Amino acid sequence: MIVPIAVRPLHAFSPKLAPSIANLGHDGLFLIELQGMLDVQGSESTSKDGQLIGTLNTADMGKPTLVIGHHLLEGKVVTLSKPLGVLHKHVHVRNDGPSAVHPDVSEDEDEDNYQCEAQKQMEKEKDENKQVRWDVIAVVKKKIVFSKRPMPIAKPASTASRGIAH
Amino acid sequence: MSDLEIRFSPSTEQDAGAFRLVELPSELCQLIDSAVETKTSQPILSIKGHPTEDAVVCTADKNYTLRSVVLSNTVLVLTPSRTDPDGTVHVRDQLHDVLELVPSVPKLHKLSVLLRGMEYDEGDEDLRTTLPKYSYEQARAEIQASESELRVGLRERRVLVLDGYLRPIAPAHLNTILELLLNYLISLSLVHDAAPVDDLVSALADDHDISRGVSIQVMSWFGRIEENTWKMDVNAVVAEIGLGIIRHYKLELTWHRVVDKKHEPILETEFMTKWKNAVGDTFESAVLLQLLSVRSPPLCTFSSNESDIRVQRQGNYLRNTNNVLGTTLNYFAASALPTDAAARFAELFLTHPRWKGDEIEPFLSDISVNAKERDKLLLKHARAITTPEGTWYTARVGYNN
Repeated sequence: MIVPIAVRPLHAFSPKLAPSIANLGHDGLFLIELQGMLDVQGSESTSKDGQLIGTLNTADMGKPTLVIGHHLLEGKVVTLSKPLGVLHKHVHVRNDGPSAVHPDVSEDEDEDNYQCEAQKQMEKEKDENKQVRWDVIAVVKKKIVFSKRPMPIAKPASTASRGIAH
Repeated sequence: MSDLEIRFSPSTEQDAGAFRLVELPSELCQLIDSAVETKTSQPILSIKGHPTEDAVVCTADKNYTLRSVVLSNTVLVLTPSRTDPDGTVHVRDQLHDVLELVPSVPKLHKLSVLLRGMEYDEGDEDLRTTLPKYSYEQARAEIQASESELRVGLRERRVLVLDGYLRPIAPAHLNTILELLLNYLISLSLVHDAAPVDDLVSALADDHDISRGVSIQVMSWFGRIEENTWKMDVNAVVAEIGLGIIRHYKLELTWHRVVDKKHEPILETEFMTKWKNAVGDTFESAVLLQLLSVRSPPLCTFSSNESDIRVQRQGNYLRNTNNVLGTTLNYFAASALPTDAAARFAELFLTHPRWKGDEIEPFLSDISVNAKERDKLLLKHARAITTPEGTWYTARVGYNN
């Protein structure tokens, strides 16, 4: 089995990052490293779509801060020892295959059996028609690491008001 | 504005698992940079492997083992939002591992098993339809090696590509062809470094029914074909003929000790005489025992860059100086030994309790990427003893009890 990998950089039409972040070396993508993980409550897998996680302040790139809920994290920019290639998966579903045409089955065959077989057949064909391709979309050389303990803050709105004050 | 809102991607389900991070060795970095510059959308890398194997990443000429390294931290992949690129970024994926690439040797050993029973031998033309088949394209998809490594591997293993199918040539038949080539060079009074290809190929086809496709491939293994002339690699041809002779004196290895009842070793002097006879008067001077362990001579001798010549050695024979009758030789091929390092050393030390450094080296070249890694293997699996005559290696473990 071969999985081809092509180099397809994020093209010119894709949105660009704010200049302070783009200084990290890439204008279309960046990495943040966190201790622990984002824990999201909720049962539906789509319910978190587009929801706010927190605010990243990049006024001073020597000391970026991240506010998530009542926690303030202080981070730093780290140059990676080895550059990281960012791979992005593309799944193609080919429609030119024979999947639309069902195999002819003689009439006297057991109905349930036929359905079951047909379903299996379709799934198999669906898998076969799915072509997975991975693209190198970016090479990243720096990341923002938040490795310190989060500091509790009384009012999460305080950073926002500071932003306005500027 | 220096505040950025971080939000989940608008399509989390579709994005989750769609990103991976790969640590890039510097060669790959350059490769990617040059692909970005030239704007090629052709795949430049590929991940290869059967679901049961460890995956490898291949470039056009190199091979890397792919390993996943688990991180205790989370890495977020963020991209700017389409609607508000200056103020909002989206977390596209959360990753807990990074893929690591380690240079590795091409895994060509599978070929010999896959191609079992597909040998090409004399008078084989009629059998062709009934044989099991394995195509070059199949090998390209299944063998964990880059394209150029696969090509070199096929040549080293003397595998013909006939109508797109892989057919290892029978050693005896190969020897016949080579000896005939040497004979015709003499009888047609051709010079060996610029022989017309057509004359030789036609002579072999007309007088000995050797198909043109086969002889051209054999000639390209043992020299270079340019503008219809063949520049023969004398050393390679001579070496292959020597191997053909010594192959009859194979060392039989059984559990616990070496017995050579069936195949007696051959005296070195006797072997050299036979070898010189086989190559004929003209090429007699090229006969040299060390030739037998030079790996893929066409690559070394024709390398355009002088400093680039690295002679890789691959073990093919064993020399025994302790015999009462004189120095004897046995056929003993590294290619037939296990590929796993521990098993390889077990077999080597069962065959010979102690080895000189330059004796054991040719038997390790095909399982290590470079000299450094070979020395690491030696350090791990063998014990070195330094004596005035040089370094000897013995087993770390008692294999005999």
